[in-house]
Amino acid sequence: MTTSNLHKWASLPDPSLAELGRAAEGDAQAFKLIVERYQGMVYSVAYNVLGNHTDAEDAAQEAFLRCYRKLPQFRGEATFSTWLFRLALTASVDYKRREKRQPEPVETPEMVAADVPQLGEGIDAATIVAALHDLPEDYRVPTVLRDVYGLPYQEIVEATGRPLGTVKVMVHRGRASLRLKLRAEGAEPGQGPAGARTRSDA
Amino acid sequence: MDCSYFRERINEYVDGDMGYMEVAELQAHLSFCPDCAAELAQVGEVRGALAAWGRLELAAPPGFADRVMAAVELEPAPGSPKPFGQVVDETLEYLDERLGSIPLPGGRTVPVKNVLGWALATAAVIIGFERRHDRRSRELTPL
Repeated sequence: MTTSNLHKWASLPDPSLAELGRAAEGDAQAFKLIVERYQGMVYSVAYNVLGNHTDAEDAAQEAFLRCYRKLPQFRGEATFSTWLFRLALTASVDYKRREKRQPEPVETPEMVAADVPQLGEGIDAATIVAALHDLPEDYRVPTVLRDVYGLPYQEIVEATGRPLGTVKVMVHRGRASLRLKLRAEGAEPGQGPAGARTRSDA
Repeated sequence: MDCSYFRERINEYVDGDMGYMEVAELQAHLSFCPDCAAELAQVGEVRGALAAWGRLELAAPPGFADRVMAAVELEPAPGSPKPFGQVVDETLEYLDERLGSIPLPGGRTVPVKNVLGWALATAAVIIGFERRHDRRSRELTPL
Protein backbone atom coordinates (compact mmCIF):
# COMPACT_ATOMS: atom_id res chain seq x y z
CA MET A 1 0.00 0.00 0.00
CA THR A 2 1.26 3.44 -0.86
CA THR A 3 1.11 5.97 1.92
CA SER A 4 -1.20 8.78 0.93
CA ASN A 5 0.58 11.89 -0.27
CA LEU A 6 -1.99 13.84 1.70
CA HIS A 7 0.29 13.24 4.66
CA LYS A 8 3.11 15.04 2.89
CA TRP A 9 1.02 18.15 2.29
CA ALA A 10 -0.45 17.97 5.77
CA SER A 11 3.08 18.41 7.12
CA LEU A 12 3.31 21.94 5.68
CA PRO A 13 3.29 24.53 8.45
CA ASP A 14 -0.25 25.90 8.64
CA PRO A 15 -1.00 29.62 8.82
CA SER A 16 -1.78 30.76 12.36
CA LEU A 17 -5.41 31.09 13.44
CA ALA A 18 -4.91 34.84 13.53
CA GLU A 19 -3.71 34.88 9.89
CA LEU A 20 -6.62 32.65 8.81
CA GLY A 21 -9.05 34.83 10.74
CA ARG A 22 -7.83 38.01 9.04
CA ALA A 23 -8.06 36.36 5.61
CA ALA A 24 -11.57 35.09 6.42
CA GLU A 25 -12.61 38.66 7.23
CA GLY A 26 -11.51 39.79 3.77
CA ASP A 27 -7.98 41.07 4.53
CA ALA A 28 -6.41 40.83 1.06
CA GLN A 29 -2.85 41.01 2.39
CA ALA A 30 -3.44 38.07 4.74
CA PHE A 31 -4.96 36.04 1.93
CA LYS A 32 -2.08 36.90 -0.39
CA LEU A 33 0.34 35.36 2.12
CA ILE A 34 -1.71 32.16 1.97
CA VAL A 35 -1.68 32.18 -1.84
CA GLU A 36 2.08 32.73 -1.93
CA ARG A 37 2.71 29.96 0.58
CA TYR A 38 0.49 27.33 -1.05
CA GLN A 39 0.58 28.21 -4.74
CA GLY A 40 3.10 25.45 -5.50
CA MET A 41 0.98 22.77 -3.84
CA VAL A 42 -2.26 23.88 -5.48
CA TYR A 43 -0.64 24.30 -8.88
CA SER A 44 1.04 20.86 -8.61
CA VAL A 45 -2.30 19.17 -7.89
CA ALA A 46 -4.00 20.97 -10.78
CA TYR A 47 -1.17 20.19 -13.20
CA ASN A 48 -1.10 16.53 -12.28
CA VAL A 49 -4.86 16.14 -12.65
CA LEU A 50 -5.19 18.19 -15.84
CA GLY A 51 -1.85 17.60 -17.55
CA ASN A 52 -1.30 20.99 -19.11
CA HIS A 53 -0.26 24.42 -17.90
CA THR A 54 -3.18 26.47 -19.28
CA ASP A 55 -5.86 24.40 -17.58
CA ALA A 56 -3.75 23.94 -14.44
CA GLU A 57 -3.47 27.69 -13.95
CA ASP A 58 -7.23 28.21 -14.43
CA ALA A 59 -8.11 25.37 -12.05
CA ALA A 60 -5.54 26.48 -9.45
CA GLN A 61 -7.00 29.99 -9.53
CA GLU A 62 -10.50 28.55 -9.13
CA ALA A 63 -9.25 26.54 -6.12
CA PHE A 64 -7.97 29.70 -4.43
CA LEU A 65 -11.24 31.52 -5.14
CA ARG A 66 -13.18 28.66 -3.55
CA CYS A 67 -10.76 28.81 -0.62
CA TYR A 68 -11.41 32.55 -0.24
CA ARG A 69 -15.20 32.07 -0.32
CA LYS A 70 -15.18 29.12 2.06
CA LEU A 71 -12.57 30.34 4.54
CA PRO A 72 -15.20 31.35 7.13
CA GLN A 73 -16.41 27.72 7.06
CA PHE A 74 -12.94 26.30 7.85
CA ARG A 75 -13.30 24.83 11.31
CA GLY A 76 -9.90 23.23 11.69
CA GLU A 77 -11.10 19.60 11.73
CA ALA A 78 -8.26 18.87 9.29
CA THR A 79 -5.07 20.87 8.91
CA PHE A 80 -5.44 23.89 6.64
CA SER A 81 -3.09 22.39 4.04
CA THR A 82 -5.15 19.17 3.87
CA TRP A 83 -8.35 21.21 3.54
CA LEU A 84 -6.83 23.31 0.75
CA PHE A 85 -5.35 20.23 -0.91
CA ARG A 86 -8.84 18.70 -1.14
CA LEU A 87 -10.29 21.96 -2.47
CA ALA A 88 -7.58 21.93 -5.16
CA LEU A 89 -8.34 18.32 -6.08
CA THR A 90 -12.09 18.98 -6.30
CA ALA A 91 -11.62 22.19 -8.30
CA SER A 92 -9.30 20.37 -10.73
CA VAL A 93 -11.59 17.35 -11.19
CA ASP A 94 -14.61 19.67 -11.66
CA TYR A 95 -12.63 21.65 -14.21
CA LYS A 96 -11.78 18.45 -16.06
CA ARG A 97 -15.47 17.53 -16.19
CA ARG A 98 -16.48 20.97 -17.47
CA GLU A 99 -13.77 21.71 -19.98
CA LYS A 100 -12.87 19.41 -22.83
CA ARG A 101 -9.72 20.77 -24.38
CA GLN A 102 -7.40 19.52 -27.05
CA PRO A 103 -4.23 18.14 -25.44
CA GLU A 104 -1.21 20.44 -25.44
CA PRO A 105 2.30 19.24 -26.37
CA VAL A 106 4.10 17.69 -23.42
CA GLU A 107 6.30 20.13 -21.53
CA THR A 108 8.03 19.24 -18.27
CA PRO A 109 7.04 21.77 -15.63
CA GLU A 110 9.57 23.69 -13.61
CA MET A 111 9.93 22.75 -10.00
CA VAL A 112 10.56 24.75 -6.91
CA ALA A 113 14.26 24.20 -6.15
CA ALA A 114 17.17 21.89 -5.33
CA ASP A 115 17.96 18.55 -7.00
CA VAL A 116 15.35 16.49 -8.77
CA PRO A 117 15.54 12.99 -7.30
CA GLN A 118 15.33 9.84 -9.41
CA LEU A 119 11.78 8.58 -9.05
CA GLY A 120 12.66 4.98 -9.83
CA GLU A 121 15.19 2.96 -11.80
CA GLY A 122 15.69 4.92 -15.02
CA ILE A 123 12.64 7.05 -14.24
CA ASP A 124 12.98 10.80 -13.87
CA ALA A 125 10.53 13.69 -13.82
CA ALA A 126 10.51 14.14 -17.59
CA THR A 127 9.76 10.45 -18.09
CA ILE A 128 6.85 10.53 -15.67
CA VAL A 129 5.41 13.71 -17.18
CA ALA A 130 5.61 12.22 -20.68
CA ALA A 131 4.05 8.93 -19.55
CA LEU A 132 1.17 10.67 -17.75
CA HIS A 133 0.68 12.99 -20.72
CA ASP A 134 0.23 9.99 -23.04
CA LEU A 135 -2.35 8.29 -20.79
CA PRO A 136 -5.82 8.16 -22.32
CA GLU A 137 -7.95 10.97 -20.87
CA ASP A 138 -10.32 8.61 -19.06
CA TYR A 139 -7.48 6.86 -17.22
CA ARG A 140 -5.52 9.91 -16.17
CA VAL A 141 -7.66 11.38 -13.40
CA PRO A 142 -8.42 8.13 -11.51
CA THR A 143 -4.81 6.98 -11.85
CA VAL A 144 -3.41 10.29 -10.62
CA LEU A 145 -5.83 10.41 -7.68
CA ARG A 146 -5.06 6.82 -6.73
CA ASP A 147 -1.33 6.43 -7.34
CA VAL A 148 0.07 9.97 -7.31
CA TYR A 149 -2.00 11.16 -4.33
CA GLY A 150 -2.98 7.84 -2.73
CA LEU A 151 -6.72 8.58 -2.41
CA PRO A 152 -8.98 5.66 -1.42
CA TYR A 153 -11.14 4.35 -4.27
CA GLN A 154 -14.32 5.54 -2.56
CA GLU A 155 -13.10 9.15 -2.59
CA ILE A 156 -12.22 8.82 -6.28
CA VAL A 157 -15.76 7.58 -6.95
CA GLU A 158 -17.16 10.63 -5.15
CA ALA A 159 -14.80 13.04 -6.92
CA THR A 160 -15.32 11.70 -10.43
CA GLY A 161 -18.95 10.56 -10.15
CA ARG A 162 -18.05 7.25 -11.79
CA PRO A 163 -19.01 3.82 -10.45
CA LEU A 164 -16.46 1.95 -8.32
CA GLY A 165 -15.97 -0.86 -10.84
CA THR A 166 -15.29 1.63 -13.63
CA VAL A 167 -12.83 3.57 -11.52
CA LYS A 168 -10.89 0.41 -10.64
CA VAL A 169 -10.74 -0.71 -14.26
CA MET A 170 -9.47 2.73 -15.30
CA VAL A 171 -6.76 2.71 -12.62
CA HIS A 172 -5.68 -0.83 -13.56
CA ARG A 173 -5.50 0.08 -17.24
CA GLY A 174 -3.74 3.32 -16.44
CA ARG A 175 -1.08 1.43 -14.50
CA ALA A 176 -0.65 -1.08 -17.31
CA SER A 177 -0.26 1.72 -19.83
CA LEU A 178 2.24 3.57 -17.61
CA ARG A 179 4.20 0.39 -16.98
CA LEU A 180 4.67 -0.22 -20.70
CA LYS A 181 5.55 3.41 -21.32
CA LEU A 182 8.01 3.66 -18.43
CA ARG A 183 9.68 0.38 -19.35
CA ALA A 184 10.16 1.64 -22.89
CA GLU A 185 11.46 5.00 -21.63
CA GLY A 186 13.50 3.40 -18.86
CA ALA A 187 16.06 2.15 -21.37
CA GLU A 188 16.77 5.76 -22.33
CA PRO A 189 15.90 7.91 -19.33
CA GLY A 190 15.01 11.49 -20.23
CA GLN A 191 16.75 14.56 -18.90
CA GLY A 192 15.13 15.73 -15.69
CA PRO A 193 14.40 19.40 -15.22
CA ALA A 194 16.82 21.33 -13.06
CA GLY A 195 15.69 22.61 -9.71
CA ALA A 196 13.10 20.75 -7.73
CA ARG A 197 12.51 19.94 -4.13
CA THR A 198 10.47 17.37 -2.36
CA ARG A 199 7.96 18.39 0.25
CA SER A 200 10.07 16.77 2.94
CA ASP A 201 12.91 19.14 2.08
CA ALA A 202 10.65 22.17 2.31
CA MET B 1 -4.58 -21.92 -12.18
CA ASP B 2 -2.26 -20.39 -14.75
CA CYS B 3 -0.32 -17.13 -14.72
CA SER B 4 -3.05 -15.11 -16.47
CA TYR B 5 -5.36 -15.67 -13.49
CA PHE B 6 -2.77 -14.30 -11.07
CA ARG B 7 -1.64 -11.44 -13.32
CA GLU B 8 -5.18 -10.16 -13.54
CA ARG B 9 -5.22 -9.98 -9.75
CA ILE B 10 -1.93 -8.19 -9.14
CA ASN B 11 -3.71 -4.82 -9.05
CA GLU B 12 -6.16 -6.05 -6.42
CA TYR B 13 -3.19 -7.33 -4.44
CA VAL B 14 -1.32 -4.02 -4.46
CA ASP B 15 -4.55 -2.17 -3.64
CA GLY B 16 -5.16 -4.42 -0.62
CA ASP B 17 -8.47 -5.56 -2.15
CA MET B 18 -7.86 -9.31 -1.71
CA GLY B 19 -9.02 -11.66 0.99
CA TYR B 20 -6.56 -13.52 3.22
CA MET B 21 -6.87 -16.82 1.31
CA GLU B 22 -6.45 -15.14 -2.06
CA VAL B 23 -3.34 -13.33 -0.83
CA ALA B 24 -1.86 -16.62 0.39
CA GLU B 25 -2.65 -18.24 -2.95
CA LEU B 26 -1.04 -15.42 -4.94
CA GLN B 27 2.02 -15.29 -2.71
CA ALA B 28 2.50 -19.05 -3.09
CA HIS B 29 2.35 -18.63 -6.88
CA LEU B 30 4.80 -15.70 -6.82
CA SER B 31 7.30 -17.74 -4.84
CA PHE B 32 7.88 -20.07 -7.78
CA CYS B 33 6.90 -17.91 -10.78
CA PRO B 34 9.62 -15.36 -11.60
CA ASP B 35 7.58 -13.86 -14.46
CA CYS B 36 4.62 -12.98 -12.25
CA ALA B 37 6.98 -11.83 -9.50
CA ALA B 38 8.69 -9.53 -12.02
CA GLU B 39 5.32 -8.13 -13.09
CA LEU B 40 4.39 -7.43 -9.49
CA ALA B 41 7.76 -5.69 -9.00
CA GLN B 42 7.13 -3.53 -12.09
CA VAL B 43 3.67 -2.50 -10.89
CA GLY B 44 5.23 -1.63 -7.52
CA GLU B 45 7.93 0.40 -9.22
CA VAL B 46 5.40 2.38 -11.26
CA ARG B 47 3.34 3.12 -8.17
CA GLY B 48 6.45 4.10 -6.24
CA ALA B 49 7.57 6.47 -9.00
CA LEU B 50 4.11 8.06 -9.21
CA ALA B 51 3.95 8.56 -5.44
CA ALA B 52 7.44 10.10 -5.49
CA TRP B 53 6.33 12.40 -8.31
CA GLY B 54 3.34 13.46 -6.22
CA ARG B 55 5.70 14.64 -3.47
CA LEU B 56 7.51 17.05 -5.80
CA GLU B 57 6.35 20.63 -5.75
CA LEU B 58 5.96 22.27 -9.15
CA ALA B 59 6.61 25.98 -9.49
CA ALA B 60 3.49 28.03 -10.16
CA PRO B 61 3.83 30.25 -13.27
CA PRO B 62 5.41 33.69 -12.74
CA GLY B 63 2.84 36.25 -11.58
CA PHE B 64 0.33 33.56 -10.60
CA ALA B 65 -0.25 34.90 -7.08
CA ASP B 66 -0.87 38.41 -8.45
CA ARG B 67 -3.45 37.08 -10.94
CA VAL B 68 -5.21 35.19 -8.16
CA MET B 69 -5.30 38.32 -6.02
CA ALA B 70 -6.69 40.38 -8.93
CA ALA B 71 -9.54 37.84 -9.18
CA VAL B 72 -9.99 37.83 -5.39
CA GLU B 73 -10.41 41.61 -5.38
CA LEU B 74 -13.48 41.22 -7.60
CA GLU B 75 -15.05 38.93 -5.01
CA PRO B 76 -17.28 40.14 -2.18
CA ALA B 77 -15.65 39.71 1.24
CA PRO B 78 -16.07 36.16 2.57
CA GLY B 79 -19.27 35.82 4.59
CA SER B 80 -20.92 38.94 3.09
CA PRO B 81 -24.25 38.59 1.24
CA LYS B 82 -23.59 36.85 -2.04
CA PRO B 83 -24.64 37.94 -5.51
CA PHE B 84 -27.52 35.87 -6.94
CA GLY B 85 -25.31 34.30 -9.64
CA GLN B 86 -22.82 33.08 -7.08
CA VAL B 87 -25.61 31.60 -4.96
CA VAL B 88 -26.83 29.68 -8.02
CA ASP B 89 -23.28 28.49 -8.81
CA GLU B 90 -22.69 27.37 -5.24
CA THR B 91 -26.06 25.61 -5.05
CA LEU B 92 -25.26 23.71 -8.24
CA GLU B 93 -21.80 22.90 -6.90
CA TYR B 94 -23.37 21.68 -3.63
CA LEU B 95 -25.90 19.53 -5.53
CA ASP B 96 -23.05 18.17 -7.62
CA GLU B 97 -21.05 17.21 -4.52
CA ARG B 98 -24.04 15.78 -2.62
CA LEU B 99 -26.02 14.07 -5.35
CA GLY B 100 -23.24 12.86 -7.59
CA SER B 101 -24.03 11.30 -10.93
CA ILE B 102 -26.16 8.59 -12.44
CA PRO B 103 -24.11 5.94 -14.26
CA LEU B 104 -25.07 5.34 -17.89
CA PRO B 105 -24.16 2.40 -20.13
CA GLY B 106 -20.64 2.63 -21.48
CA GLY B 107 -19.12 4.03 -18.29
CA ARG B 108 -20.49 7.55 -18.88
CA THR B 109 -22.41 9.46 -16.22
CA VAL B 110 -24.94 12.26 -16.07
CA PRO B 111 -24.90 14.65 -13.07
CA VAL B 112 -28.08 14.40 -10.95
CA LYS B 113 -28.33 18.22 -10.94
CA ASN B 114 -28.71 18.14 -14.76
CA VAL B 115 -31.52 15.57 -14.49
CA LEU B 116 -33.24 17.77 -11.89
CA GLY B 117 -32.81 20.80 -14.15
CA TRP B 118 -34.32 18.98 -17.14
CA ALA B 119 -37.20 17.68 -14.98
CA LEU B 120 -37.98 21.20 -13.69
CA ALA B 121 -37.79 22.66 -17.21
CA THR B 122 -40.08 19.91 -18.56
CA ALA B 123 -42.54 20.44 -15.68
CA ALA B 124 -42.58 24.19 -16.38
CA VAL B 125 -43.30 23.59 -20.08
CA ILE B 126 -46.08 21.07 -19.28
CA ILE B 127 -47.70 23.39 -16.70
CA GLY B 128 -47.55 26.31 -19.13
CA PHE B 129 -49.06 24.17 -21.90
CA GLU B 130 -51.87 22.92 -19.60
CA ARG B 131 -52.75 26.45 -18.50
CA ARG B 132 -52.86 27.63 -22.08
CA HIS B 133 -55.04 24.67 -23.00
CA ASP B 134 -57.43 25.40 -20.07
CA ARG B 135 -57.70 29.05 -21.04
CA ARG B 136 -58.51 28.17 -24.64
CA SER B 137 -61.04 25.57 -23.49
CA ARG B 138 -62.79 28.21 -21.38
CA GLU B 139 -62.76 30.68 -24.25
CA LEU B 140 -64.30 28.14 -26.62
CA THR B 141 -66.94 26.81 -24.20
CA PRO B 142 -70.36 28.35 -25.04
CA LEU B 143 -71.92 30.17 -22.13
